[in-house]
Amino acid sequence: MEPPRSSGVGIDNSGEYSPEIAETLRFEEEIQSLIHPSSFDGSAAPTGGGSFTALLGLPANQAVELLHDSGAREPLASRIRVGEHPVHRPFHLPLDCSSAFPSNATLVDRAARFSVFAAEGSPASSSGRLKAEPQDSDSPPLDPIPTGPAKRKDTGRSKAKVTAKKSKNAEENTDGDKLPYVHVRARRGQATDNHSLAERARREKINARMKLLQELVPGCSKITGTALVLDEIINHVQTLQRQVEFLSMRLAAVNPRIDFSSLDSYLSAECGPVTVRNGPGGVVVDPSLWPTDATAEATRRLLVPQFWHIDLVPPQLQPQQSLTTWERDGAAHSQLLPNPTTSLFLYDPANSGDTNVPHRTAKLKTAEDRALNL
Amino acid sequence: MGVIDIMDAKGTSSLGNPNPNILTPHPSKSSVAIRFLRVLSLVRHTASSSPSSRACRIRRAACSCMAYSAGPRRAWSRALLRKLVRRRRKPPRRDLPRPAAIIRRRRPVGGDRLEVALRRVVPGGAGMEYCRLLEEAADYVKCLVMQVRLMQSIVDFESHVHSVNKRSEIDPGDRN
Repeated sequence: MEPPRSSGVGIDNSGEYSPEIAETLRFEEEIQSLIHPSSFDGSAAPTGGGSFTALLGLPANQAVELLHDSGAREPLASRIRVGEHPVHRPFHLPLDCSSAFPSNATLVDRAARFSVFAAEGSPASSSGRLKAEPQDSDSPPLDPIPTGPAKRKDTGRSKAKVTAKKSKNAEENTDGDKLPYVHVRARRGQATDNHSLAERARREKINARMKLLQELVPGCSKITGTALVLDEIINHVQTLQRQVEFLSMRLAAVNPRIDFSSLDSYLSAECGPVTVRNGPGGVVVDPSLWPTDATAEATRRLLVPQFWHIDLVPPQLQPQQSLTTWERDGAAHSQLLPNPTTSLFLYDPANSGDTNVPHRTAKLKTAEDRALNL
Repeated sequence: MGVIDIMDAKGTSSLGNPNPNILTPHPSKSSVAIRFLRVLSLVRHTASSSPSSRACRIRRAACSCMAYSAGPRRAWSRALLRKLVRRRRKPPRRDLPRPAAIIRRRRPVGGDRLEVALRRVVPGGAGMEYCRLLEEAADYVKCLVMQVRLMQSIVDFESHVHSVNKRSEIDPGDRN
């Protein structure tokens, strides 16, 4: 579909916009006729055209206004330079108004783009519009916004577009944060290949993580240079591991007499009741605490009087399905973890009368035997 | 209670994370504390032969508590538990689905000396990309710090209680 009129518009890139404005008036009528038969959200239309009507449906008048407005603006010149491309694209029209439209394929494309920008919000300045445009001339015209940022990385740019874009880069750099999507900005003088963009994104990710690590490790923020920072991090981790080992030795060396009063009082004060479920074999109690930690703490505090109640199976234990591999991993440790609770229960007489001693059932006894046979 | 005050203070201070979007917030410190205390009491019960083996067990227990509290979504916690379990049981366990190990999009190149050292230090760091490695390292450091503080507070608490008990034992004796 190469209408003579649009090619005429494409050629005239000097300040003469009157033929275009004359067209836009006719275009406005056609847009109205297009909108009314179609539903507002374009649900009746096929995929490509649907988004178009959706785009055009809402800010239709704004789109035309934009056309009028942009007619006076300077960026139109570059757009028209670039705008030769849309002519060659196949344009899917949604409804039976197709007969009326082919003549205005390029204008409709531009209108689509403008309406999209209007939908974003007017703060998307002309430079923002300009930035997105060279993208859209590559991507299919009907869904610029969602695929624009995605396509930005993927589409290879022709040299002409690269130069046209770079000339506006200084202005565009500041507007990057206004748009709602995340994108990689091609800076001035930098290559805009797919590979370099991806690499740059990756490098930025790595730098962000390194900064995080630097904040975690004390004394790392002053150090400049990746190698030294990494060195410091490794040293810190090794120090921590050694500390764990040292403390565990100390804990083992502390008088191993049964000091339950302190431990029990600590536990009872610190946390609420413990939900124990002595299931068969591989049921691990503790991993069930993960998904519900925040809420579980609160509910546990409420259940203070029912301290060591064994049969308390709250519905929170449902999301255990996702943890099955986890449980399998820790199956050997499952022996370890629920049993200490039972041993704690059994030595309650040393403690105050908070705990319910008569709750000790046969289950507990067998569990305790298993624990001691460890 | 002295320990609780220490724990609460440290708990709140450890939650001042400037980058919450990258690092997931850990469960509260008390869950780790509960688990660890339980395991500790268990280990103390089982009359073990020597303090060294007990120390070893306590260390493993500490690591496992740390790993459990971190959650299964962290690669390092999974790898840590796998290591611990493997040491406990010699016979090979059935193969668990480990997509991170099976699907290797890019072979991690072991050229950088520092990177290799980091991989060795962080559990499970061998099969990850560099980006992921840094993430896991940050999480691991956070957990380690939490665990160290917990154990330190327990030791302090117990030594304090121990000294108090000794004093209380002496005093009634004096009075009587």
